[in-house]
Amino acid sequence: MICDHLSRLLALHVIFCAMGKASIDQGARNHGKKVSILLREEPENPKCFAQSRKDFTCFWEEDEELSGSLDQYSFTYTYQNENSSRCPLKMLPAAGGKRLFFCHLNQTQMFVQTDIEVHREGRLIHNRSLLIELVFILDPPANVTVSRTAQPLQLNLSWVPPALKYMDDSMIYEVIYTTVGSNVGQVEVVAASSELILRGLQPGQMYKMRVRVKLDGISYNGYWSAWSDPVFMETVPAELDLLIMSLTLIISFILVVLSLTMLLSHRRFVVKKVWPTIPTPDSKFKGLFSVYGGDFQEWLGQTNRGIRLTPAFFYSEECPSPLEVLSELSPRPSLPFPPLPPKAFRALPSVRKEDDDVKTEPEDRELMDRGDPVLSEQRTATPHNLWLIDRIRALNQSQVPCSQSYLLESQDTYVTLSGKNQNIDELDDVLEETLPLEVLFASRKTASYESHSDLGSVPQSSNSSRLSSQSSFEYPNHAWMTKGPGYTYMAVADSGISMDYSTMSRVEDFGKAVIYSNDYKNEIPAFRSPFLPSHHHIDDDG
Amino acid sequence: MEWTRPGLSSPLRPICDLRVLDHFIKEARDAEVAMKSCREGCSLSESVSVPQTTVDFDVWEEKNGLDQAHEVQSGLCLLQQALGLLKTSVTNTALHSHLDNCIRNLLSINAVLRSLNIQEYTPPASAAELEGTWRVSSATDLLQVHVNFLRGKVRLLLMDAQACQQDVS
Repeated sequence: MICDHLSRLLALHVIFCAMGKASIDQGARNHGKKVSILLREEPENPKCFAQSRKDFTCFWEEDEELSGSLDQYSFTYTYQNENSSRCPLKMLPAAGGKRLFFCHLNQTQMFVQTDIEVHREGRLIHNRSLLIELVFILDPPANVTVSRTAQPLQLNLSWVPPALKYMDDSMIYEVIYTTVGSNVGQVEVVAASSELILRGLQPGQMYKMRVRVKLDGISYNGYWSAWSDPVFMETVPAELDLLIMSLTLIISFILVVLSLTMLLSHRRFVVKKVWPTIPTPDSKFKGLFSVYGGDFQEWLGQTNRGIRLTPAFFYSEECPSPLEVLSELSPRPSLPFPPLPPKAFRALPSVRKEDDDVKTEPEDRELMDRGDPVLSEQRTATPHNLWLIDRIRALNQSQVPCSQSYLLESQDTYVTLSGKNQNIDELDDVLEETLPLEVLFASRKTASYESHSDLGSVPQSSNSSRLSSQSSFEYPNHAWMTKGPGYTYMAVADSGISMDYSTMSRVEDFGKAVIYSNDYKNEIPAFRSPFLPSHHHIDDDG
Repeated sequence: MEWTRPGLSSPLRPICDLRVLDHFIKEARDAEVAMKSCREGCSLSESVSVPQTTVDFDVWEEKNGLDQAHEVQSGLCLLQQALGLLKTSVTNTALHSHLDNCIRNLLSINAVLRSLNIQEYTPPASAAELEGTWRVSSATDLLQVHVNFLRGKVRLLLMDAQACQQDVS
């Protein structure tokens, strides 16, 4: 019997000791948190805080190496209109090689000015004046609990305020709640109340909530306490409302039907906007795609006759540029530059004499493969050709005769130039379209010319003189035909280099270049000026 | 004229909401701040007696309610006199409005005490001079005492008023 009582007493003693130890440990932890908060929040020294109506603590921090012994320091405090009092100090080690000096009072006076001084060996090191009721730091709210309410997206959070008489209605609380895993939290502040309903929460989410307390600053003031231990609660998942779901489906169905109706009624417009028709030039070029499959060269070859027969192209006041196909001949070994073949010279008088026969076409590409294109041309002369011949005669009479003509290497590029004084803008434009093989030069007094071995249309200028040229590059295997007295011939190297001509330099070039005379002699005159086709470049700047 | 008989005075409804006092405290603090920033025309002509504001909770709780009420009422009376004297000394018009508010609030506090069934008390002049008083000679010290007195003893008295305790229960 006695043993039972003793055992019970012993068990109770152990329990109370454990509880006391736990409370002491909890108190120590809270105290440590407050010191940390003050070290962070309060810049002045000493740092003082009140925990209750009677508890008051001041402390300061010093480096261990610079601090002295405890007896070197003195802490005094003086209430208004009263004598000063001394506070016994304690020293505790801190992290980072620091020391903390504490002054703790169990009896305080509030609502009165208090002066605090710290001396070290008679020398004032810290001085401060404060009111104790304005430096409260409380313990965090205890017994924080959370529960669900009747509303699905609300939670009821409640806590127990610190047990401080006369100060319950002066406390304000800050609640922070966030979903688990999120770093962004929402804050709510509530005054003089120990519970809060959290609204507008997300369904089916786990929430984490914490609370801290502070005095409101009217009669009492201080620092925010440490956060309470977190509590967790999951909100109710969202419930499917059949009515809302059905209405949503019906509205969606109606919208889809309306959209389809709109699309079907305006499908043409939509198709036109989404897939616009790509314009094709087929209408402008009859038969280009349907007959020739897009082969522009073949189409052009077939349509050249039609264009050739169009009077508007040629029956104009301005003289067209006559084109003669010149055959390429092999050079004589005795001459540095072999003369032209006799056929070429024989062709010239025939061209001159037969007015009605020969009619050279500027775009005469089809004569490339013929051995005697001029004679062939004579056989197939048309009225249009006769007109051209007349023009050639007129030109020959007014032009400086060519000095000589030469037979050049088959691999050389021959450029024939004919000079005319006329405005040929329109004709140039037309001819450019229909004469892909002829390079038309517009000679200007100050203009520059370009000659390309790969012929293309060249920008023309509507000025006085005009030069037409043709390159033998397109006739690698055929004779190069002289054009007559109206032409100056110049052989240039086919190096693929574009050359610029100017009027002034043109004169020089004429002096330098090979000039084919139009003497209609059977003999091919000797080459007058040295000319090396492979090295000669006429490069003039305009 | 018969229906103009004097009737029984109905008891005042107790004013237990401390937000009223908090409002007075805020205005007193505004006056203190304004006085601290004043440079000219804001001095006290002579030293005055003011109530002590010190509150030792152990000592306060040992006093009974009546003593607490008398101490508060005496202090309010002294402050009214001191603020009245300060008002005559100050020439700054902005401070005049602050001081008017403070004096009016002190009268309102007396009305709140009456609503709490705390009988009016006028201390004898000699007693107020000897016990529980301080002498201040500057305007800032006077207004600081005024704020601390309202925040301390006056508020504690209103919080512990029996009339308010009966309403809570």
